[in-house]
Amino acid sequence: MDTIKYILKRILQTIPLLIIVSMISFFIIRLSPVDPLAELKLNPSVSPETVEKERARLGLDKPVIVQYGKWAISFVKGDLGVTSTGEKVSQKLAERIPNTLLLTAIVILLTWLVGVPLGIIAAVRWRSNFDRLLTVMTSIGMAIPSFFFAVLLLMFAVKTGWFPIGGLTSPNFVDMSFGEKFWDITHHLILPVIVLFTISLAGLQRQMRANMLDVLDSDYVKFARAKGLSEWVVIYKHALRNAVNPMITLLGFEFAGLLSGAALTEYVFQYPGLGRLILEAVMKSDINLVMASLMMGAVMLILGNLIADILLIITDPRIRSKA
Amino acid sequence: MTGRVFRILLLLCVIALFCKACIVRDVQPKITSEVKTSASDLALSYSMPKNVTINGIDYLQSQAPVGIFGGTLVSSTIGEGPKTFNPFNCKDNTSAIMSGVMYDGLFTTNPVTGEVAPKLAKGYTISPDGKVYTIYLRQGIRWSDGKPITADDVVFTWQNIIFGGMGDTSTRDSLVINGKLPSVRKYGDNIVVFSTPEPYAPFLRMLSAPIAPKHVFYNAVQKGNAYFDSFLSTNAKPKDFVVSGAFKLKEYVPAQRVVFERNPNYYEINTKNQKLPYLDKLVYLIVGDLNNEVLKFEAKELDVISLQGSKVARYKSLEPHSDFKLYNLGPDTGTMYISMNLNNRKNDKGKFYVNPIKQKWFSDLNFRTAVDYAVDRKSMVLNIANGIGEPLFTSESLNSIYLNKKLKPYDKNLDKAKALLKKSGFRTDKKGRLFDKDGHRVEFDLYTNAGNTEREAIGVMVKQDLEDLGMKVNFKPIEFNSLVNKLVSTFDWDMVIMGLTGSPLEPNGGKNVWLSDGRLHMFNMRTPQEGKIGILPWERELDEMFDKGALATKFEDRKVYYDKYQEIVYTQKPMIYIYSPIRIVAIRNKFKNIYPTSLGGLTHNIEEIYINKPVRY
Repeated sequence: MDTIKYILKRILQTIPLLIIVSMISFFIIRLSPVDPLAELKLNPSVSPETVEKERARLGLDKPVIVQYGKWAISFVKGDLGVTSTGEKVSQKLAERIPNTLLLTAIVILLTWLVGVPLGIIAAVRWRSNFDRLLTVMTSIGMAIPSFFFAVLLLMFAVKTGWFPIGGLTSPNFVDMSFGEKFWDITHHLILPVIVLFTISLAGLQRQMRANMLDVLDSDYVKFARAKGLSEWVVIYKHALRNAVNPMITLLGFEFAGLLSGAALTEYVFQYPGLGRLILEAVMKSDINLVMASLMMGAVMLILGNLIADILLIITDPRIRSKA
Repeated sequence: MTGRVFRILLLLCVIALFCKACIVRDVQPKITSEVKTSASDLALSYSMPKNVTINGIDYLQSQAPVGIFGGTLVSSTIGEGPKTFNPFNCKDNTSAIMSGVMYDGLFTTNPVTGEVAPKLAKGYTISPDGKVYTIYLRQGIRWSDGKPITADDVVFTWQNIIFGGMGDTSTRDSLVINGKLPSVRKYGDNIVVFSTPEPYAPFLRMLSAPIAPKHVFYNAVQKGNAYFDSFLSTNAKPKDFVVSGAFKLKEYVPAQRVVFERNPNYYEINTKNQKLPYLDKLVYLIVGDLNNEVLKFEAKELDVISLQGSKVARYKSLEPHSDFKLYNLGPDTGTMYISMNLNNRKNDKGKFYVNPIKQKWFSDLNFRTAVDYAVDRKSMVLNIANGIGEPLFTSESLNSIYLNKKLKPYDKNLDKAKALLKKSGFRTDKKGRLFDKDGHRVEFDLYTNAGNTEREAIGVMVKQDLEDLGMKVNFKPIEFNSLVNKLVSTFDWDMVIMGLTGSPLEPNGGKNVWLSDGRLHMFNMRTPQEGKIGILPWERELDEMFDKGALATKFEDRKVYYDKYQEIVYTQKPMIYIYSPIRIVAIRNKFKNIYPTSLGGLTHNIEEIYINKPVRY
């Protein structure tokens, strides 16, 4: 019961937060000098009447505060509005979200499946050659910028011809059988997944290793060992459970990054995800689209933290009693 | 100790070897003004399709060699892809290209001569007073769903969609002549008559606007503007498209590609009377930026690419041992220019837009001419455009059919520039600094939009060139929107480097720039309230030329007026033109029937292009 009350309280707290986030973002975008009509104004074949009509259509003729009010009311009603070219924002996002989710979900799954065990092994075999090798590898992984790595891999793909140059599907995708389609998508996903995987694996593996080392050094592990428990039980029953707590918080952040974490890599690989869409929207000051994506990011972050907190309540009795 | 020294030496050797390897692998930069697989030679051998009638059906017959059917051409579009497939609602270039593939107009432009050529219409006549256009449609041609294309479709398109103000209204806006729109009527199934309230020459070319199938668009038009704006958007199903063009939408994948398939009912045939197009599919990949486009071309995912500046040299050296060929399409339609603010009026707060001291300089023709002679166009072409450009001296672009060829180019001439300045009383002191006759130091701001590397580079070179004359130039690249604001709203600028895109076919499109009350008459901008206040003699002449040019109907008559307008700009120098980039395109060798032209580009005859040995995917 307490847990449910706590969750409700947290959800209520997010409302003022979202309002503040939306206001700040809206006003910053509108105060920036990007004029969505500048291109139109400099086009010799566009009449002043058309420019005025566009201004009215985009709602730019009204004060910023009125524009915000209009946006907020329709947002609350669940209507994300239309882009500056008249397409439905919700539809634009719906086209891209599955693609981004596919990429980030695969990456998160892989990094957790590989990173956590590697972290544990490295901690258990602290200062072994294996640990040292992993440290070097993860240092490289953390140091290399994602866009640079992506460009390197693209050049590799051009030179060898082994991989397609970005995108998600081949031009003849519709005419393929199911098996071919599956292979086609996999083939396109390999390079972006490698980039994102290398980079997030490094952080995760180090985090896990550090947590585990902390725990292995603690008194209760020494006690468990002194009691004569097998090493397996000591590590996987006593140490791991305590070491995994900070990882759950991290998982919350990973959840927030599901939709926005891969933007840069997406851009370099021309991946048809949200990253490219939002970048273009920001450049063109396409307010509805930018606001929708910012709000989505904020909601995902809040939600991620909430999920992490709930998971912590479940796994950690200390927090449970406090809540 | 010696071990360590040895090791460091060894390391240095290895690094040096790597560096050496890198340097050798780099292709020597070459000045490639020799990309002279010039489009014009091939273009001359191209003959336009002709009208033929077989079994009562008026086909268009391709005169190009007969090809092989099948295959795919993969092209690309940079950006986020089309915003709509509705040909009447295109506000961006990509959307216009995509719907242009699917919907033909009554006429098109002859890609070689720039004349009006038949498309859905087989011909036209214009009444002697230049107000009545009679259009003869083809008999027996059909939409992709099998319904006939008739006069009803044409009348509906013009009356209800274009004049009705549906979608993008720019065509309608530019056709309002003295507050009235042209009228359109049909006579029988195959004749349509347009009458304009006044003779208006650009009208004929506007008839190349796409024609919509009435049976598909009728309901959308009835439902009003808001519905029409979202009609045939990118969410529409491919089967909802009924088209007249060579290709029909097959698939649109957001942010990835647009796939077109051949329209089996297309009305063009080859000399063996087989229905065109040859290609089964036409694919446009949606790529985010130029670099990705280049990578995709090199990985053979793309068949066609247009190249810029530095890349041309590399591709030229790759060409001999590769499967593509470069074509030079000639100068671009874009024009880049320096302009000075001739405004001598005050704003509503009683303050001069331009400092009166500077006004005297800019309004002095000798000063403007001196600036012109100081600018070194040739070295800008070499250094900024990598030699892939052509110095520009006229306000019409170099591939314009109205280009005044009598206006001769000239080189940088500092002596002449200095002599001109001296004539107007300017003098230099011992340090080479320039002062006007009242003793004011010649110093002004030069603006351009930040982020445009080409214009920024031009700015730097113009600054250097003008400093040779002793002027002090404060070069300030500023954000695009702020610059536009200065140019069209606040008028507080001295000198600017900007670019405009013009039409190579219709100078009347530039009237907003040249008419003294035009909305983009930047060099001497007047507010709408000011009207034509303080008009200069040569501005009045420009107004006259543009008014007459629009009313005359014969090309020869119009050419006289537009020649005169270019001459005025050439001598009065309100805008000092710099250069036009040259367009270079590459296409794989397997594609045949390629006749690139300056006006039509590489794929103007997409229905005639075929693959030598088609590979079916």
